Amino acid sequence: MTVLSKLEAADFINRTFKPLPRSYGDALMDAALKDPRIVCLSADLTPPTETDRFRDELPERFHNVGIAEANMIGIAGGMARSGEIPFVHSFCAFVTKRCFDQITMQAAYPNLPVKIVGFLPGVATLLGVSHQAIEDVAMMRSVPNMMVFEPSGPQYHAAAVELALQHDGPVYLRMKRPEVITDDPIVQQPLTYGKGVVQREGHDLTIIAAGLEVVEALSAAEQLAADGIDAAVVDMHTIKPIDRELILDQANTTGAIVTAENHNVIGGLGSAVAEVLADAGIGLPFRRVGIQDHFCEGGTTPYLLKKFGLDSTAIIDACRDVMTRKKTER
Amino acid sequence: MSENRNLREYEQIATRLRLHVVNMVAPSGQGYVQQGLGAADIFTALYFGEANMDPANPSWEDRDRIFLTTAHNTAIFYATLGERGFFDTNLLSTYVQDGSALEINSCERMGPFVEATCGSLGQGLSVALGCAMAAKRQGKNSRYYVILGDGEMQEGQTWEAAMLAGARGLDNLCLIVDYNFVQSEGPMDQVMSLEPLNDKMQSFGFHVQDVDGNDIGALLNALAVARETKDKPAFIKANTLMGKGVSSLEGLMFHQLRFPKEVADSARAELEARLA
Repeated sequence: MTVLSKLEAADFINRTFKPLPRSYGDALMDAALKDPRIVCLSADLTPPTETDRFRDELPERFHNVGIAEANMIGIAGGMARSGEIPFVHSFCAFVTKRCFDQITMQAAYPNLPVKIVGFLPGVATLLGVSHQAIEDVAMMRSVPNMMVFEPSGPQYHAAAVELALQHDGPVYLRMKRPEVITDDPIVQQPLTYGKGVVQREGHDLTIIAAGLEVVEALSAAEQLAADGIDAAVVDMHTIKPIDRELILDQANTTGAIVTAENHNVIGGLGSAVAEVLADAGIGLPFRRVGIQDHFCEGGTTPYLLKKFGLDSTAIIDACRDVMTRKKTER
Repeated sequence: MSENRNLREYEQIATRLRLHVVNMVAPSGQGYVQQGLGAADIFTALYFGEANMDPANPSWEDRDRIFLTTAHNTAIFYATLGERGFFDTNLLSTYVQDGSALEINSCERMGPFVEATCGSLGQGLSVALGCAMAAKRQGKNSRYYVILGDGEMQEGQTWEAAMLAGARGLDNLCLIVDYNFVQSEGPMDQVMSLEPLNDKMQSFGFHVQDVDGNDIGALLNALAVARETKDKPAFIKANTLMGKGVSSLEGLMFHQLRFPKEVADSARAELEARLA
């Protein structure tokens, strides 16, 4: 019989029951140790937002305000008015949708350095439709003064903290924790504000992806290569301000674009790319992979990506479609 | 900086503020005249008596902050700011004109003396709370005042903020509710009563005082007691009479009042006579 010597809290994210890395939480701690203006706010979701180290090591700069996100945003506005740089944390669904008016009036309109950090982006959670944020990017992108970042993995979480601090105003960081632990250490890599990363060069078409869809896009590109289709993959970690120059370059050099996002296809990354292309007068074969304007359900991430058309197979289908159109429309 | 005055001088200031309210609202023939007249004594006590501020340096870091969260009650707010010296009172004649910064709902684009943009009701207390929490951590002695509307307290966020203020014992925070008993659609108890409000605030951890909101002496006293209260945020229920100070308007319970020229003229004459 197994006797448990110590019971630990579960969080519906960790599937391995080994300690998850806190790439974001550690980076926030490092930044806070360098800059005494940084304070940390939580709405009773401290470990799942990787802020437990901050809570334990800098308690005088940590505030668990209770389960009250609207109040948390207002408080952050007040703290920012008092010379502090508040990082506020919850799940994406709660820290955007539940307090959107407060975000616009108490962070964005006064252009205060309130850093809004959400975890559980898009569909990727067991916790179901209440906890899924499939509209958050559309909402946050539409707010004046607000910048939006979605790193593609924990190796960019330290860079994401830097991006958030580089903009002297409000930002939304859309973060995803890894679900499983590998033995390989996570090596932090830099990102440049407003500049997408070409993760894979290609000549036939470009997949522009963000967040967990970057891994799916790279997998799709590998599989397409076996069929002789040479797809470029762009990691668009800064959704606002979006990298217009890179989008137009890729449109000119590859002539077809597929976007991939863990979000509704209305208003998110795909819309942002389409806006850039349309504004520049560029018409080309184009598809948006993402949630096709419906609500989803809870489940494991691989199940959800497959069911809702976000996995590499869905991206491959979209790529084949634009390649066919590229040939026939020429 | 606060200045020492006798009660008669405060009452003269309140009358001047009421006269501005009448003159500002009269040209459009309608507006928030009843609330302005009713709240004139609260604004007088706070801006001319209790609060520590420097109109020559409105961004002064150690100033006391006053958040007007009933951001539509601006005739009295702008009149107060002008009389207190934050801007020229000549500007008051531009109230609600196109292009004027003196909008119906106050907005911080006017300047640092508008501490937050609170037209969307229920948000200002949270902002003041954040400032008060930051001040505690930073060892600052500023005080944070919020003038809240009674109807506004129906917004749930008010209670999220009140709960935390009480739980943290923030004694640098003072909440003054302008209890005029009218909201957009009529008397508050017909829409949704807040009563028993004092009991509610007490149970949320506030030090509670119930005062005549049109008695400047009582208000100054309550503000002083609030300042001396330790380890608890303060709540002052200031019972105000709509239209106070103009006999033809006192007690008329209108959120938005039609304000014909002849009514404005007689109000003006009555207030001017009191100043003479």
